[in-house]
Amino acid sequence: MVQAPPAQDPFAMTTQTHSHSLPYLGYGLGLRVDHYETLLEHPGNVEWLEIVSENYMIPGGRPLVWLEKFRERFPLVMHGVSMSIGSADPLDDGYLARLAALARRVEPAWISDHLCWTGVQGINLHDLMPLPYTEEALTHVVDRVRRVQDVLGRRILLENVSSYISFAESQLTEWQFLAAVAERADCLILLDINNIYVSAHNHGFSPLDYLDGIPASRVQQFHLAGHEHGDRLLIDTHDAPIIDPVWNLYVEAVRRYGKVSTMIERDDHIPPLAELLAELDHARLLAAPLLREAA
Amino acid sequence: MSNLQTLQQRLLQAVLADRAPRLRDLCGDNSADTTSRLAIYRNGYRIRLRDALGTEYPGLGLMAGRRFGHLLESYIETHPSGHYNIRWHGAGLAAFLEYGLPWRDKPELADMARLDWAISTAFDATDEPTLSATALVDVPAESWAALRLRSQSHLQILASPYNVDAFRRAADGNKQRPRLRHYDKPRYLLVWRQLLTVRYRLVEADELSALTGATQHETFAQLCERLTEHHDPSNALPRMAALLRQWLDDGLISGWELA
Repeated sequence: MVQAPPAQDPFAMTTQTHSHSLPYLGYGLGLRVDHYETLLEHPGNVEWLEIVSENYMIPGGRPLVWLEKFRERFPLVMHGVSMSIGSADPLDDGYLARLAALARRVEPAWISDHLCWTGVQGINLHDLMPLPYTEEALTHVVDRVRRVQDVLGRRILLENVSSYISFAESQLTEWQFLAAVAERADCLILLDINNIYVSAHNHGFSPLDYLDGIPASRVQQFHLAGHEHGDRLLIDTHDAPIIDPVWNLYVEAVRRYGKVSTMIERDDHIPPLAELLAELDHARLLAAPLLREAA
Repeated sequence: MSNLQTLQQRLLQAVLADRAPRLRDLCGDNSADTTSRLAIYRNGYRIRLRDALGTEYPGLGLMAGRRFGHLLESYIETHPSGHYNIRWHGAGLAAFLEYGLPWRDKPELADMARLDWAISTAFDATDEPTLSATALVDVPAESWAALRLRSQSHLQILASPYNVDAFRRAADGNKQRPRLRHYDKPRYLLVWRQLLTVRYRLVEADELSALTGATQHETFAQLCERLTEHHDPSNALPRMAALLRQWLDDGLISGWELA
């Protein structure tokens, strides 16, 4: 049986540490093409933006011109979907070099990706595939996170993914695995509240147990999003408004972790910006009393 | 080979396979069995690739019509994606259409795919300087013969005997499918990006020859020489001057130097 990682992890002696603290950015949005012009003209209450790294890891052209405009106007963070930190394939050095080059250009507040694998044997599934929660996978991921952090010269954030399958060989819960990766690799956590809700439904665990199992000191960012109902499972589609149970879980997260930079992630059926601004205001409203209490 | 590696390889094959195998590695429960859980990943893989290809190949979509879905499925099933950027999965589609059955019997499809892909790659090609129309006024008259132009390195010239440009234009404008036309000789299409906007236009034989020379870094005198194959020698220089003016206006030229 896998044990929880010790407080003084022996691996910590062998790797570079990235101790600088990251800022609190407030409430932000995922930057999407549909909102480029409106966001620059009427940014409303948007305090920061999250870009999808791969959309700007390109040689030139219009996307990079837009990116520069947003960089001048908003704090930016970079969020990737292709690092494949859990893959059994070697890390893609070319990918990491392009990611590092983009980071030099953007100077993001932080860089994140997902705790998953996206392909193996050189084939990419373009999906966020879950890992088996085993000691072997844990050791593998921790080693790779450290190497990525050394290449980027900073701590990264890893996000929990929505999943529809689980593995017979898993020895840890998902939250134990995520917490252990963060502690052993000295990385931070991007907690996707919707993903916790979706996976809890799909696998039959309590989302509150999940929140209770994540160390507050590691949580740097929240994602909020919508999902859809499949036949029997919930599907993480990011194409709908955030539902009340996910808002309620967000409140529980704020109660546990306090002031955490929060953003709304919408990838499909993109609504007018005003709808997302209203959701951001709702997040502020829900968090405000808890943050006042904590202050 | 590690357990993690073999597990990921089995899961990968289960996603790619024609029919979902039963994987003992997975856990099901009363809410959903392992097959239906796996189906979410299997379907998602195909939907994502189909959507990405549809975005990159609007002209081909219009030209292929009802066959487009089958065409994409055939490509996806035989060509797993190898690049982290899903968009690059489409890089091999034109070759697949050119050589694969039954598509190779419709050569207009491969030509259409080549135009769509050229437009796609020009969109985010490396930024280069664009020479303005007045940039060459200071070149001394006696130096013009030795002038070498540098064209934008992303510039592409495609040859096709079909009106593929009409299909792409119709697709971009949400217009009706044009009638497919086949010409006796290939037509030449220039694809490039003018600052931030991707453009394409037909080039005549004389411009094709001069443009080919320019991309090969030939001198202005050599470009004029090429035009004598299409024009009376006395008209070659005025024609070359007119072409140069158009190239500058189009943003095709990134610099110059003297031989």
